[in-house]
This record gives sequence, C-alpha cells and structure tokens, in this order.
Amino acid sequence: MSATTPALVAEDIHKSFGSLEVLKGVSLIANEGDVISMVGSSGSGKSTFLRCINFLETPDKGRIVVEGEEIRIKTDRSGRLITSDPRQIDRMRSRLGMVFQSFNLWSHMTIVQNIMEGPVHVLGRPKNEVHEDAMALLEKVGIAEKKDSYPSELSGGQQQRVAIARALCMKPKVLLFDEPTSALDPELVGEVLKVIRELADEGRTMIVVTHEMGFAREVSSQAIFLHEGRIEEQASPEELFGNPKSERCRQFLASSL
Amino acid sequence: MNWELMNESWPELLAAVPVTLTLAASSLFLGFFLALGISLMRVSKIWIFSNFAYFFVYLFRSTPLLVQIFLIYYGSGQFRDFFESIGLWVFFREAWFCAILSLTLNTAAYSSEIIRGGIQSVPFGQIEAAKAVGMSKFLLFRRITFPVAIRQALPGYGNEIILMVKATSLASTITLLEITGVAKKIISATWSPIEIFVIAGIFYLVINFIVTRIIQSLEIRLSPQLFRDRKSWWQSLTQNGKRTVGTQQTFR
Repeated sequence: MSATTPALVAEDIHKSFGSLEVLKGVSLIANEGDVISMVGSSGSGKSTFLRCINFLETPDKGRIVVEGEEIRIKTDRSGRLITSDPRQIDRMRSRLGMVFQSFNLWSHMTIVQNIMEGPVHVLGRPKNEVHEDAMALLEKVGIAEKKDSYPSELSGGQQQRVAIARALCMKPKVLLFDEPTSALDPELVGEVLKVIRELADEGRTMIVVTHEMGFAREVSSQAIFLHEGRIEEQASPEELFGNPKSERCRQFLASSL
Repeated sequence: MNWELMNESWPELLAAVPVTLTLAASSLFLGFFLALGISLMRVSKIWIFSNFAYFFVYLFRSTPLLVQIFLIYYGSGQFRDFFESIGLWVFFREAWFCAILSLTLNTAAYSSEIIRGGIQSVPFGQIEAAKAVGMSKFLLFRRITFPVAIRQALPGYGNEIILMVKATSLASTITLLEITGVAKKIISATWSPIEIFVIAGIFYLVINFIVTRIIQSLEIRLSPQLFRDRKSWWQSLTQNGKRTVGTQQTFR
C-alpha cells in the first residue's frame, strides 16, 4: 500500500430515519496513524456516522473507501442504497474494528472465546496461533486472569477492555470507538481510557466518538465537532478545544466542561 | 390394594417402557428440526414464510392432539386410494407411523414458538457485534444467534419434552402398546385400575425425573456462570444456608 492511500475515506454521508435527517453530508479522511475524535451533543449524528462507516446503518448517500477499496453499493427499487455484495461488506467489516458503548460481548462464550471467535471463524486462522494472540492481548489490557470467566462475571470496565481486545485480535486497519466509556461508572472510565491511550501511542488509526473532552484533546491528532448532522468545525485538538472558531462549538464546550 | 397383582404386572408394564421412549424420542428428535425450520420461517421477513409458519402453529396448537392422532390414523384410511396412488399408504397404514407423525407435528408447533422466543430474546447488541467482525448471516446464526437462543429456550423446551413423554400415552388409542396401552390391556382383563395405573404412573414419574435431571445438567453445562453460586438441594440442607465463599462474582 502506498503511503498516500488513506486508511479510510468517508465522503458526503447522508442518513435519515424517517423524516428525521440525521446526517446531512459528513466527510472524513483518516490517514494511517490518525486518531480522530468526534464530539458533539447527543443527536448530532456522531454515532450514526460511525455506524454508517461499517454499514451497521446503510447510508442513504455517500461513499466509503477502506484502504483504496470502495464499497460497492447500488440503489434498490425504492431508491435506497443497498450493498451489492454482502461478502464485500463482511470482508470490509473484518478490517474495521468496532467497540460499542454497551460492550456487546457474546454472553455464551468465555472471555478468551469472545476474543478468538472472529479470527478463528471469520478469518479462518489456526486456533493455537489465535489463542496466543488472544492471551497476549488480554495481558495487554490487564485482565489475563479473567480469561475463563463469562462476560456477566466482569465489571463494565473489564468488559469494555475485553471488547477492545476482541476488536484488536482481528488486526483491524481502523478502530472505531462508539462512546466507549459512556455506559461506565465514573471510577471505571479511567482504566478504559488508559487502554485506548496506549493504542493511540502505538500509532493505530482510530476514530473515537466520545464525551470525554479532556481525553479527546490529549490523544487525538484531529478533532471534529458535529452539529445537527454537519461538521461544524474540524481542527487540531488544541485549536478546537482551546480556541474554537464556531459559536456553537464554544457553547457546547462551555456546557460540557 | 392387590399387592400380588401389582407384583405380577409390573414386568409387563416395564416391557412397554421402550415403546414409550421410542415414541417420545423419535418425535422429539424429528420435531426439533422441524421446529427450528418453522421458527426461522416465523421470524422471516418474507411474508409467505411467516404466514405459513403462523398458520401451521395455529393449526396444531389449537386442536387437541387426540383429534390430530385420530384424523391422521383414521382419516388417512378414508383416502386410502389416494395414498396408494402416491405410494404413501405403506406408511399411513402403520399406527406407529401415524403416532410419530402426529406427535412430531404437534411438538414442532409448540417448540417452534419456544425457539422463536429464544431467537427474539438474543440481545441486538450481540448480533451487531457479530456483524461488526464480519460474520456472514449463516455464520452469525450458527455461532451467535442459535447458541444464545437455545440457552434462553432450554427451560421452556424442557417443559415441552416432559409434556411429550406424557403425550405418548395418547398413542394407546390407536392400538400402540406403550405404557398406558399395556396398562389398559391388563385392566380390561383384571378390573383393577388402581393397582395398574399406580404402577404406570410410577414409570412416568421415573422417566420424567431422569429427563429433568438431564435437562438441568445440560443447562449447567451450557451456562456454567449462572450456576456457580448455586448449591445442590443436599448442600442447602446440610450447610444451613451458609454461602460458599469465593464463588460469588466480584465487581470492581
């Protein structure tokens, strides 16, 4: 891959739910190693945008390109976009790791099984090799001793760290974080942010939707403020959080600090 | 109580237990796969599938099993020419076949609703997480939806298994000599319903005791995390309600 090919391009993404237009044309380019944080009040469309990137929501309009490969989409009879090749979507999703607000670990599997599931059954990698990777990742997120526990036996912070390890074990090109700490008790937020910060330091490409302004300012290389389905301001984190140009962004930051 | 008669009769009734077990096991086995198909049709977005499944379930849940057995066994005799012409009469003339067919269709209708409940109770987030790692629809069903659904459905399905063991007694009405059939035969010769039905009842109790144990151990095996805190009834008697330390879940 040449250095000029961005890891992820999302172009002019539109999405409506019924008559409610949630995204009114949002674009983003993530180069290798970029950490892009997206902030905005609830309902501004940041989560929907993230979900459009890996087609958990199908955008009404727009393009998604992962490492130069464009997702082929077509319009169906009612004029909506549908994916023309489900297998391409599956393959593309396996290259985009997703971490959800509510962890979404598989309840019937142990922690280590949760992490191994994707690499073994989606990527078809050998079990013993994946097991080693999984254990290394559990070590890294600091819960190796919980490997044979079930998700319901873990605290929220531990579950979210497992979810991050699960995403990492797929060796994704881009990691998508959808408000990873919003469902956590305040005292558990830190342990999850610490893991994400380490990933940022490693130079992983990440898009982080978050309400943790201080964290976003520290780790990201680029910050985006979304308002009513549009990018209201996009700048370096120092600029956006320190000296926002837009009045709305200033109000939002003032109210959230 | 005529103890002598009971002592003489139980071996004959015991010999009928395999018939009861064969009827129950084969209709449950076939019925489970049919139920899985019906439940998938029921949750399908294609209306012709979901409507067909709805109608099937409605039909077999809303009529008595005895009526279904009679209709299939005696009813098919009225259409003998038709079944002969399509080569199925060799099956329908057998009481065995008719009993298993009606039991299978009946349990499939009930079980499909149990499985549907399981499928629809799978948390949406877990399905999304599976999509997000790139699972295909089939892989997602095989690895996530089905295993989670079956764990949710197991207690209800255990109920259905027990009901089916008892429902096999209706096969006695179409000449099959399972436990109840043999009991009725002995009673017609001895005029001692109490003694004979007590033995028959005990056999059903024993069978279903074993069935419940099997279901329970399956539940524990599939979801060990739900049972770590649990004590057996024996432990709870002897330990006088003291909680075992170290097995409780620890938060934070």
